[in-house]
Amino acid sequence: MSSIFDVIKKRRSIRRFQRRAIEDEKIRQLLEAAIWAPSAGNHQPWVFIAVRDPKSIEKIKVVSPGIFDIPAAIIVVCRDMRIAEKAGNPELSIFDIAMASQNMLLMAYELGLGSCPVKSFNQKAIQVLLDLPEHIVPELLITLGYPAEEPSPRERRDGVIFFEKYGHKQG
Amino acid sequence: MAENENRDLKNRDLKDDLFELICFMLSSARGLMDEPKAYGPFRIIDSVSRLISILEKHQLADDFLVREKKKIEEGKYSVMDGEDKFREFLDGLMVDFAEELKKR
Ligand SMILES: Cc1cc2nc3c(=O)[nH]c(=O)nc-3n(C[C@H](O)[C@H](O)[C@H](O)COP(=O)(O)O)c2cc1C
Repeated sequence: MSSIFDVIKKRRSIRRFQRRAIEDEKIRQLLEAAIWAPSAGNHQPWVFIAVRDPKSIEKIKVVSPGIFDIPAAIIVVCRDMRIAEKAGNPELSIFDIAMASQNMLLMAYELGLGSCPVKSFNQKAIQVLLDLPEHIVPELLITLGYPAEEPSPRERRDGVIFFEKYGHKQG
Repeated sequence: MAENENRDLKNRDLKDDLFELICFMLSSARGLMDEPKAYGPFRIIDSVSRLISILEKHQLADDFLVREKKKIEEGKYSVMDGEDKFREFLDGLMVDFAEELKKR
């Protein structure tokens, strides 16, 4: 088992996938990882839809300029706006689903899967394709599959870490 | 299968492929209203690559286009490495196409 730091550092956004199905058990584990994310006020204003049917995946891809290959599965991460609004500050729910999504990305790496968060997709079209009621809003797609590429890490921006006060670079 | 039927099937396929490209371009247009400026040229170049793929699938692409598609696929993600790298990549493609255009 790899250390959590290894997983965090080695995970990359994978955009090329093998034509190989993902075991259901692995998909279930990813979803389980998602729901154990922290959530403001523990409202858990999320809904996850695992899409595995190749025809549906193809249709989602067509309205998602941010998907570049055919993934084996897509997890559609949605906000339940009824819950988010009832909780008082709906903006907080974005943090919740972001954390749940990161859990899935890291879990995917641990399971030998490639993943990529995708925001470039048409929300309305996804709502139509997946029969989502109006209050269930798709916010992020997580594409998944066995990786067919090993991208080198993208540069990380310097000068973003300080100690005690802004501008103090030495710890 | 009769020659005609075969052609019909291929045409239907081509129609589906083009329909999907149209959906993709439409989604891009809507998305670009809220996305960074550099994504605009990226989506257009990605559409070019997708169009060449369709032409290739239906035996309508020549060697030049197939070669350029490969170049696009290899270089298009330079959009994430900053504007200068992406501009250089697009300029390179433009020179290839201008030279080809001159020959035709
Ligand atoms: C909110 C969000 C939206 C993203 N949307 C897309 C997308 O639509 N398409 C894509 O290919 N990558 C997308 N990415 C992936 C980023 O491009 C990627 O995380 C970044 O370049 C860093 O690379 P790394 O994930 O390999 O470390 C997105 C990432 C985040 C966090």
